[in-house]
Amino acid sequence: MTDPRIRASVRYPNDLTVPGMWHARLVRSPHPAARVTGVDTSLLPPGVVVLTPSDVEPLGRYGCQISDQYVLAGVARHVGDPVAAVAAADEATAREAANLLEVGYEKLPAVFDERDALCAGAPPVHDTHAVSDSDAAYFGLRPLEGTNVCHRFRIRTAGLPQGAPCTADPEPDDHAEGFDAAEVIVDETFRTPAVQHVAMEPHACIASWRDGRLEVTTGTQTPFNLRQDLARLFGLPETDVRIVCPPMGGSFGAKTFVRTEAIAAAVAQRLDRPVRLALDRDEEFVTLTRHAATVRVRLGATRGGRFVAKRVWCWVNTGAYADCGPGVAMKMGYAGVGPYRFDHVAVDSFCIYTNLPPAGAFRGYGAAQSVWASERVTDLMAAELGVDPVELRRQNLLVDGDVFCTGETMHDVHFEELLDAAAHAVDWQPGGDNRGKGVAVMLKGMQTPSRAEIGLRRVDDSHFEVLSGTTEMGQGSARAIAQLAADLLGVDADQVEVPPPDTDRVPYDTRTTSSRSTHMMGRALESAVEDLKNSGSDYGHGQIANEGGLDVDTGQGVASSHWHQGAAAAAVEVDDETGTLTLRSVHAASYAGRIVNRAAAELQQEGAMIMAIGTTLFEELTFDQGQVVGPNLSDYNIPSALDCAAVTQSILEVEGAEVHGLGETALPPVPPAIGNALASLGYRPTELPLTPERVLDCAEDA
Amino acid sequence: MDMLLQINGAPVQVEVEPGVMLLEVLRDQLGLLGARGTCGVGLCGACTVLLDGDPISSCILLAPLAQGHAITTVEGVPDDDPVVEAFDRHHAFQCGYCIPGMVLTAKSFLAECAQARRCPSREQIAESLGGNLCRCGCYVKIIDAVQEVGS
Repeated sequence: MTDPRIRASVRYPNDLTVPGMWHARLVRSPHPAARVTGVDTSLLPPGVVVLTPSDVEPLGRYGCQISDQYVLAGVARHVGDPVAAVAAADEATAREAANLLEVGYEKLPAVFDERDALCAGAPPVHDTHAVSDSDAAYFGLRPLEGTNVCHRFRIRTAGLPQGAPCTADPEPDDHAEGFDAAEVIVDETFRTPAVQHVAMEPHACIASWRDGRLEVTTGTQTPFNLRQDLARLFGLPETDVRIVCPPMGGSFGAKTFVRTEAIAAAVAQRLDRPVRLALDRDEEFVTLTRHAATVRVRLGATRGGRFVAKRVWCWVNTGAYADCGPGVAMKMGYAGVGPYRFDHVAVDSFCIYTNLPPAGAFRGYGAAQSVWASERVTDLMAAELGVDPVELRRQNLLVDGDVFCTGETMHDVHFEELLDAAAHAVDWQPGGDNRGKGVAVMLKGMQTPSRAEIGLRRVDDSHFEVLSGTTEMGQGSARAIAQLAADLLGVDADQVEVPPPDTDRVPYDTRTTSSRSTHMMGRALESAVEDLKNSGSDYGHGQIANEGGLDVDTGQGVASSHWHQGAAAAAVEVDDETGTLTLRSVHAASYAGRIVNRAAAELQQEGAMIMAIGTTLFEELTFDQGQVVGPNLSDYNIPSALDCAAVTQSILEVEGAEVHGLGETALPPVPPAIGNALASLGYRPTELPLTPERVLDCAEDA
Repeated sequence: MDMLLQINGAPVQVEVEPGVMLLEVLRDQLGLLGARGTCGVGLCGACTVLLDGDPISSCILLAPLAQGHAITTVEGVPDDDPVVEAFDRHHAFQCGYCIPGMVLTAKSFLAECAQARRCPSREQIAESLGGNLCRCGCYVKIIDAVQEVGS
């Protein structure tokens, strides 16, 4: 029997229908900032139901970290913000009705650039920033009322001054910030644009109400966060909300927290019948994006190449709603320090509202943006010192027992081996001629703190069922969990069933993010197997928690209970007349600890690299007065089979080590490896993607 | 209007509006869910079906124009098809959303190669699959699978 995905016997959320369901469509704001002044339904055909902002305003606001979003926007804050929903018995009528609805607007001032939004006089995107009481607001949030900053995160190693102004153009204070011993300082500002996940399956859900309970079938990585947020919106106990999660046709962070589910639930409540809400491709581009960010890095070293101090500023464009942007800003902040030893580190990361579509989780989660900046600066320092970039990194990389800028002592770290593997793959010549080649190293945290529970049920003498909240988006977690359970139970993997999560059946799990699931669920399984053996019943329960977290004012604490570690190297050619950059070889080396399923691990590596190549060379969301330019797959290109020829990867295993997730590790180091390879040919790239125009613009002799 | 379509070797009678695309007929009326609409403009390949053996984007083909042609969807490809088996053996999928379209395009390309009695190179395979997008990025293993069958 071949895998059911190949011949389409898997049913994704977008495939599902239920008897009697109606179809909802959304009416979206054409303005980046506008107050809805009226909704005229007079042109609508009969039999259509309309929900307006005033209908849903009593439900209040939601948001996983800041409560800043109404189910439908009475004040639209980005082009594409849903201001009304229409529903009809068939989809064609619903589409027609959405086109015929007349919405009146009063335009308001808007701001789009993350640094413009910090300036005095910038229009406030939100009047207040109320911290959410959701489980996902798990760290101290620091909204700056009266500004567009919904969170600021700081790192200050011991002895550095705590405060810093919230500004778009900071003045470094080298003496105060620990640069006194630095003999060479490099300082550069970088930018990464917004990009979109482009999961092949767009968002789709079905909501229905049954005896006062809300049931939602949807593609989501966060079933328990979604359950909690919907319960609070609709005034229900969490146990009266059921989230069913069929496998998704890709997600990459796009299907997280509340997306379209609250609107579908509100329409279903009004109609008292099931409602399907599925998005078109163009709607995906205004539903969630990856944060555009400006990152400035100032690095000080001795003439001998020892890193002394680092100063990082991140300006993180979270768009109209915070979503999990505060968490992204925090992780961008410490990933931008990189896996190196320093005497002193100071980081300020600002999560900033603008009138662009909301940005949220995206494979690489903040690291992609700051590793681009940080690892480009490492090469700028190597050039300044006239030393080999691999050697400069090796001299400063963290090894077991070193202390990271957060104060945590590193263990089970393998940055040098990964760097060597990557450099070797592009035939790096130590101290020799490496023109056209570049390397990069990175660390990325795993969700900390978090908790995973798992149930293990004996179905009969030879069959088991694993009840896990880990959702499947193609990453292969269900298969990995079945394999881990089978290994612990001493049976074959095909004797273990892992059904799609249903919050009425599976125990609590924080969420399927940050490449944590194989690691956390694997550990929870160990205690579930133990419990099954000891309990004498047919059910075992397992639980694991990783403790930690950072103080958001000093960045001290435990950022990650273990670290995703990766390196990449690239060899490129550039046509200096046209600016066309050609990849000859791109290699990523990642630390797996122990591999559970080799094919799945390789697929994650290659997939992350290919996604990274897209965002390095051509993927970029551009906006005209807040409107996405070309929200379609003709204008917004993603990599095809023609973009993978240069890709190779390797995975470092250590006998007896714990399992490390591999969903994201190979993504963040690829853009700077390519950028550094380009830089070695006489260019100074600071802004992604490296389109031919940008390449020509950043030629050193231009 | 009434229409007679030839789908996976069997005649199928359907009643549709003339402006309906073949994809909607397959999914909404016939429950054949292997073809998937994702870009809506015939660019991503997820809605690929074979029309007389050639891959086409069913999201932009008006259903009436498919009359008189043999339509193959992934549901009409047997489980022991060599391309299906090669995709399985090489783990050439992650989420699987694009894979039915990928399999059909590969089948068509490999049939062409067989007819011309040539083994395709990796570059030729990549070229042939260039209109089928996979955001999970399984291309390396997909090309491995197609190359194995093509040799």
